[in-house]
Amino acid sequence: MKTIDEERLRAIVGEANIKTDPSDLYIYGSDSSVHHAMPWAVVRPKTTAQVQAVLRYANEALIPVIARGGGSGMCGQTVPVMGGIILDMKGMNKILEINLADVYCRVEPGVVDDDLNLALKPHGMFFPPTPASSRIATIGGEIANNASGVRSVKYGATRDAVLGMKVVLPNGDLVNLGARTRVEASGYQLHKLMVGSEGTLGIVVEATLSFVPIPEFRCMGIANFNTLKDAGDAISSIMASGAIPSMLELVDDVAIKAVNKTMNLGLKEVAAALIFEADGMVREAVDYEINKMKVICQKHNGEDIYASYDPKERDKIFLGRKSLFPALSKYDDNLASTSLADDMAVPYSKMAEMAGKIHEIADKYNIVMTAYGHCGSGCMHTKILMDTKRKDQWESARKAITEVYDYVRSVNGTTSAEHGIGLSKAESFKIEKADSLHLLSLIKKAVDPNNILNPGKLSQAPEDWVTATNLRYSVNS
Amino acid sequence: MKNKTKAFKHLEKWEGTLANCIRCGYCFEHCPLFKYTGWESDAPRAKIITAFGLLSGEMGPSESAAHKLFSCFYCKRCEAACSSGVKLTEVFTDAKKDLIEMGFNGPGTTSTTQMNCARCLICLGACPHEARSHEKGRGIVVDPVKCKGCGICIEVCPAGAAKIQNSFGTNRKDLMERASLFMTTHTSAKAIVFACNWSYYPDLQASALPDAETRDKSYEILVNMCGGRLERQLLMAPFIHNAWGVMVAVCPDEKCEHNGNLRAKERVEDLRNTLKSIRIDPERLQLVQIPAGDKTKFQAEIDTFVDRLNVLGPIR
Repeated sequence: MKTIDEERLRAIVGEANIKTDPSDLYIYGSDSSVHHAMPWAVVRPKTTAQVQAVLRYANEALIPVIARGGGSGMCGQTVPVMGGIILDMKGMNKILEINLADVYCRVEPGVVDDDLNLALKPHGMFFPPTPASSRIATIGGEIANNASGVRSVKYGATRDAVLGMKVVLPNGDLVNLGARTRVEASGYQLHKLMVGSEGTLGIVVEATLSFVPIPEFRCMGIANFNTLKDAGDAISSIMASGAIPSMLELVDDVAIKAVNKTMNLGLKEVAAALIFEADGMVREAVDYEINKMKVICQKHNGEDIYASYDPKERDKIFLGRKSLFPALSKYDDNLASTSLADDMAVPYSKMAEMAGKIHEIADKYNIVMTAYGHCGSGCMHTKILMDTKRKDQWESARKAITEVYDYVRSVNGTTSAEHGIGLSKAESFKIEKADSLHLLSLIKKAVDPNNILNPGKLSQAPEDWVTATNLRYSVNS
Repeated sequence: MKNKTKAFKHLEKWEGTLANCIRCGYCFEHCPLFKYTGWESDAPRAKIITAFGLLSGEMGPSESAAHKLFSCFYCKRCEAACSSGVKLTEVFTDAKKDLIEMGFNGPGTTSTTQMNCARCLICLGACPHEARSHEKGRGIVVDPVKCKGCGICIEVCPAGAAKIQNSFGTNRKDLMERASLFMTTHTSAKAIVFACNWSYYPDLQASALPDAETRDKSYEILVNMCGGRLERQLLMAPFIHNAWGVMVAVCPDEKCEHNGNLRAKERVEDLRNTLKSIRIDPERLQLVQIPAGDKTKFQAEIDTFVDRLNVLGPIR
């Protein structure tokens, strides 16, 4: 471990905005992933100038700097695998401007997604990427991961909503990227490059984001299927038909059983269910989309199909999907729900096969895996439920994950749709991007020659995610 | 990999729970301590991580680890919201028990300034959790495991000796200062609302909204642990700074963990009589009971109160 000049950091951010106590450091070494590693200091900048000063120091002293938002990352993006300074960006939490005339807002990176939506709501607007963690996820973190969520099928991911940003580079320079306009064709779109870069290229200190009007009407529907293939074909047909769902979710039988087991919801235990939604300003237009989706579900042997505009009915339809996350963590006292291989994307036509493959692999390795997700955007979520104390279960998980990703790549899918790469998914990421890895490292080197920004992540992450860091579980040897 | 230490015999039974916590961090938004300090290491998840670190032996027991685990006020909002069903405060309590047995006596949620204490022992009887005792030679001793930080001892202490440790702005002096600061810096300031921690107060988000610094508001919500700890001088203090009214929000009958709501009701009733006797309309001091989490009702009650104050006008 290098010696950190704590006094210099104190002089930059002030006594109240630095933590060096071992217990604080231990806490900041974790996020929502399976990983843990110790940082050397936690610093909470309040201004752009402070971020610049910290980076100038770190670049000079060759100390890693890891920006952190809500700490809700699921793949270890903010786990300081090589030590260093954690920049807790939650201290920069101001919504600077909501410009209705020009349809953009400017925010600091520590603004929480839900808080931004709270501020936009009185104007009839919303910021659409909204991941499930929107109650704690910060805009900076969402940009770093290119976060998306249930409505991304219609409204896109974070990248689609970012117009521009101010970024502090590793040498402390401040640059303005992008524009405040809807379109821009002036050279390399460097602000888009920053989105999804997981804090390896620069520290976002201000973002200019677009927003959209809150729709007047929302209608949600559900259809049950007796085979996964039928559900998968329905997804593909819906997306190919030109329908514009605002949500299209798949829930498999393992997921339905888990929800029934832990929440006693009494859902029909079919092979798969599709939840679909359309929204808009004109009811007839929403009706049109919903009917289109209902007819397609019917054509693919969907059963018990119904849809509703009533908010209470909609909540009821979505309850099974909404309860899934907690249901999986309460599934069995001896099994923990781990975030591994949890967000791959495959082409629509492969959705059903992907879910089937997950079941097959889980059976083979005697672990519990479920398939659900935002299939309208091609994203499939899984959770691996296992006894985290047993070393052999980690071995099984490792093998299962390798097989899942082998399948994903074989059908031209991608390793991560919305959670990012971090540490947990580096192995598959590197195989998937083999021919562009060199280009990635050239970009990284050009922007961050001293490799101080979130080193050891993405293309630099170790292939073996099990030994990449300490696991945050007690594993018996 | 790790081997758990044997020293944490109370915490040990939570080993599975500590693995089952998916560390989503959704508890942050419910924690008043996190909202106040803004440090992730003060959030409920941080305490779970600390408990895991101690049990697994990754982190040695220390004053600072103890400080983390002792800094909880048992509002239990994190627990109510936890999707994994983790009994957070029970984990914290068991960790505290082990740490105390090891000789780490964290700050405790309430304490007594011995120099000011008159040894009247009123707080012993008033404490709803039997957390206070009198020990010869040591004076009033607070059991940090039993103390749930409601602060009722503070309200009953005639000498002003009882106080909340690490209070995130909820000690009498802090609350008075915050009330006075609001009244003197906002031209439209009319009311102070003292809200119990359970009320899911509106306006408390982690981000600063565009007009937060310049916005002129007619009321300020000051959060404290329980309505039962609101002393008379605290409730009357905003009037000195020209407040038009004071509102107290507590839990519904039978819903308060400390029975502090009943105490608050009595106190407000009593003070309303006092106001009447000095010819101030008692309606200027009002108590409302809000079910936990009912933000909408809370906001509606505040709006109605402010409307009423607008009719009454300033105190002459």
